[in-house]
Amino acid sequence: MGFDTHGTTVIAVKYRDGVINIADRRATAGYTVMYDQAEKVLALDDYTLISISGSFAKSVEVVRFLRHSFKYFERSQLQPMSLDGKLQELSRLIAGNVAAAMEGIGAFIPVLSTFDREANTGRIFFYDAMGGQFETGEYGAAGSGSGPIRGVFEYILRTKGPFRDMGRECALRESITMLEIAADLDTATGGSAKYLPAAKYITADGIRDFTDDEIKTALGR
Amino acid sequence: MPVSPYEWNESIRQRNEYIEDRLKDGSPVVAISYDNGILMLCLRQTQRKIYEIYDKLAFSAIGNQADIEVIRTGAIDVAHREGFSRSPDDVSAHRIVGFAISPSIKKVYSDPFGAPLVIRGLFAELGKTVEKDQYVVVGYDGEFSNSSGFFVIAGTDYAEDRASLYLKAEMESGTLTLSHALSAAVYAWGLGRKHIEEEDRADGELPKDREQTGDVSSFITEHLKGAWTVEAAILERNTHRESRYRTLTDAELEETLAKYS
Repeated sequence: MGFDTHGTTVIAVKYRDGVINIADRRATAGYTVMYDQAEKVLALDDYTLISISGSFAKSVEVVRFLRHSFKYFERSQLQPMSLDGKLQELSRLIAGNVAAAMEGIGAFIPVLSTFDREANTGRIFFYDAMGGQFETGEYGAAGSGSGPIRGVFEYILRTKGPFRDMGRECALRESITMLEIAADLDTATGGSAKYLPAAKYITADGIRDFTDDEIKTALGR
Repeated sequence: MPVSPYEWNESIRQRNEYIEDRLKDGSPVVAISYDNGILMLCLRQTQRKIYEIYDKLAFSAIGNQADIEVIRTGAIDVAHREGFSRSPDDVSAHRIVGFAISPSIKKVYSDPFGAPLVIRGLFAELGKTVEKDQYVVVGYDGEFSNSSGFFVIAGTDYAEDRASLYLKAEMESGTLTLSHALSAAVYAWGLGRKHIEEEDRADGELPKDREQTGDVSSFITEHLKGAWTVEAAILERNTHRESRYRTLTDAELEETLAKYS
């Protein structure tokens, strides 16, 4: 599996006004660090973010396809694709990739976050390797670094209360701390020393990047 | 099939007459570059008229709605196929029109036994700067041409010319802001539409002395009080949004339309 670039930690958490997505910037192939400026939090449309883990090549291709697919639908049909329709497309792509993933080629597992404008709330969906889709009430994570930090999410929930009640700065600080822990525990997850993690948030007003200053503040620098 | 050059000429002439007669009532659409993008605007009654084609491409047309849909969906298909297999940067108005849309229209137009497409279409392509914005207009016979700065499509050549002259003068003062572009576009629409409606009644061209500001303004006010609404969309040059194209909201149009209420 040495030729397949993968390994990462991506985190999505709800907060008071929407959803935050963060990811490290490292891309690995086997024991080699391929790249330390990878973008793993990507916008699919004005209200939907996908955070990718697993095969980088496959993920990027899937994201490109989904972007085109959603936009093509909206432009040609003159109405946006429904949230269900979008989720269905992503599930189908993961399911269609199972055979290749079993062979050890191009397995990828994303976390999809969106702002549901009808329900006026952020929503997070995560997936298993077969394309099974699960909606989460608080947080979602994927990638090789997500396993080691799973207990931290639960610890925060029990000691500090739900993410969905936190303000933006607070939720960013908690999730960036978890990303730092993941980087300490997982070789395939990059730390923040060289390049800052990628962080975006979605609200009723659409998707925005966290500024470098906001990220540095959350990192305690 | 026409058997003599005379018959061929005659069939083309009748065909043009048939199409131009149907295009004549088309409500003008104004496209104009401003500092942060391109504005497309028209007043309309029921049917939506301005559409997104691709990341930096918008489209509008006058003519038969079914024909407009054929061209619109055709352009969307070509743009997405091209943008997906190569790069969104390879999708340009000139390529879409020159290599896909225009030859198809020409083919339909050249078939003497088929119904020709009744359409005058305008593609607007957003560039990195105002100077790089492109407007490609395509006619019912497949003829197309490029221009920059602005473009107006209207039911008659004369109405197009008059509205264009006005916009040209507006743009001479330098790069427009969105708010300036909006008022210029609404006024240019009124100018063009007034020509069409009065030419229709008088069976001739509207004398230029009927283009006084007050006349055109009250003409626009009259339409807005009736069943007409403003449809305006922009392609934004610098935006944090994933889509550059968006329809302007009523709140964003309020200031411009205040003087016509």
